[in-house]
Amino acid sequence: MKKITRILRWILILAVACLMLVLPWIAQNRYQVHIVNNIGIWLLLSLGLNIAMGYAGQYNLALGALWGVGAYTAALLQTRLGVPFWINLPLSIIAAVIIAAFVGLPSFKVRSHYLALVTIALGEAMNLVLVNETPITGGADGIGHIQMPNLFGFPINNDERYYYIILIMVILGYVVGRQIVGHRIGRAFRALRDDFQAARAMGVNTGFYQILAFAISGAYAGAAGALYAQLNTYISPDIFTFNSALIVLTMILVGGMGSLPGSVVGTVLLLVLNEYLQVFQRWQLVGYGIAIIVVVLFLPGGVVELARKFESFRQRWLAGLTKGKSDAEAG
Amino acid sequence: MFLEIDHLTMQFGGLIAVNDVSINIEKGEIHGLIGPNGSGKTTIFNVLSGYYKPSGGKIIFEGRQISGLSAHQITAAGFARTFQNMRLFKSMTVMENLLVAMGYRAKVGLWQEIFNPVAVHREEQRFTEKALELLDLLEVAEFANELAISLPYGHQRRVEIARAMATDPKVILLDEPAAGLNEIETEELRKILTNIHERGITILLVEHDIKLVMEACEIITVLDYGKKIAEGTAVAIRKDPVVIEAYLGKEGNQ
Repeated sequence: MKKITRILRWILILAVACLMLVLPWIAQNRYQVHIVNNIGIWLLLSLGLNIAMGYAGQYNLALGALWGVGAYTAALLQTRLGVPFWINLPLSIIAAVIIAAFVGLPSFKVRSHYLALVTIALGEAMNLVLVNETPITGGADGIGHIQMPNLFGFPINNDERYYYIILIMVILGYVVGRQIVGHRIGRAFRALRDDFQAARAMGVNTGFYQILAFAISGAYAGAAGALYAQLNTYISPDIFTFNSALIVLTMILVGGMGSLPGSVVGTVLLLVLNEYLQVFQRWQLVGYGIAIIVVVLFLPGGVVELARKFESFRQRWLAGLTKGKSDAEAG
Repeated sequence: MFLEIDHLTMQFGGLIAVNDVSINIEKGEIHGLIGPNGSGKTTIFNVLSGYYKPSGGKIIFEGRQISGLSAHQITAAGFARTFQNMRLFKSMTVMENLLVAMGYRAKVGLWQEIFNPVAVHREEQRFTEKALELLDLLEVAEFANELAISLPYGHQRRVEIARAMATDPKVILLDEPAAGLNEIETEELRKILTNIHERGITILLVEHDIKLVMEACEIITVLDYGKKIAEGTAVAIRKDPVVIEAYLGKEGNQ
């Protein structure tokens, strides 16, 4: 039984992998590939926020602005200095990590909802800098004419090619994320989220891990920013706001707080729904609202909780079956 | 002197919770700390484990001042504790609770933690083995993969002690470990204390179960209203008129 489940699992993983590899070819048009690329970028944001918030309990709602830090760093390096993609990407990550670490400093003084408020304010302040520092950031007009990457002579000049870069980054982000949350760092995060005082007494350097949580979400946001800037070739401050952080928050709430698969499910679900709900125009937001209420009320663990519930049901069912069998044999 | 609480005072606004208390604790002893409610026992624990910075006095451990260090540094210096109102990590299994406590001794660095799965795996195995050994000692190994807070109360108490032991302490602070336990469980707790003691770990015990304290502790310090009123062996404490007065009130008052 177990063996079959394992084989099924590998088949599933292989199928998904194949699908992901050929996706640009089976897409009906370029717009669909663009949507998928967009999903990949939001996926990085939601993985980052889920690690900081779902695992470590650090409400980093300056995420939208940190995304902007990544995007502007990449855009400026690329347009002003001609720094190529494979250098401006890590530099964008580093820039966002540094700013995120500073955003995390208030976590020494305030927690949970208060921390959320402080980080919202910090994020909006950073957005104002993007809007008002016109000589550097281009102000409300933003930065245009960003070049798409050219990797060692191979131009990544359309959505289909860019897709593979995003795919690699998302897989990398997911694997690194799993490594973070699945071991010592993740346990320290959960310890300080579960019980701050007990965590300290168990030797967890809470201050360090709080800043680390912010820095990690910053790293993901920085990568997402650099990818976003060079995908769209144009950026402006209006997307790097609290509003975007709120969308990411909705994604992880719907998908599953404190679960990386939850991030994936929530992001894909929300963005795909978003496409189908476009026809309803303004009513789309009502749909969002209802979705959140339903999830919070009936599935506080997010959509992934459904899978968990199904699994425990299945195991009970299996246990019941074998028990019935042994009972019958005994009888 | 192994552990020296030197003229410790802890003041919260107008309230003096601990008033000029000095206690000397020898290596390897089981030292009881008793007193009526509000006499400052838990406050002393909270200062010892670094939650509060003392308003006056200091704490010297193995010749080094530890008062003023932050909680995780004090843990690293060799202190572990349990809590009056058990504080197990609620999202974690029993095993994970112990692994958290071992984390600060990890040899695998932060970057390796993310980018070197082989080293991480090896260390996880080493930690898991040690944790199992401790769970075995406290006879809760069979619950290693269960959610810690789903266990019966008495078992949770043991897991909490195992978690404290997982930090590999020299001194363990037990804050009312017998609270909520029945007689049989308390008797088992006494055996656990002996086991820990035999491993050479110094035990500081705050407990309301006087019988347990009298049986288990070599030296007992009695506090009342934040002041130390008596110190000595169980036999001496039992006869001390000041202690009797603090617990039962003056005869003339009745």
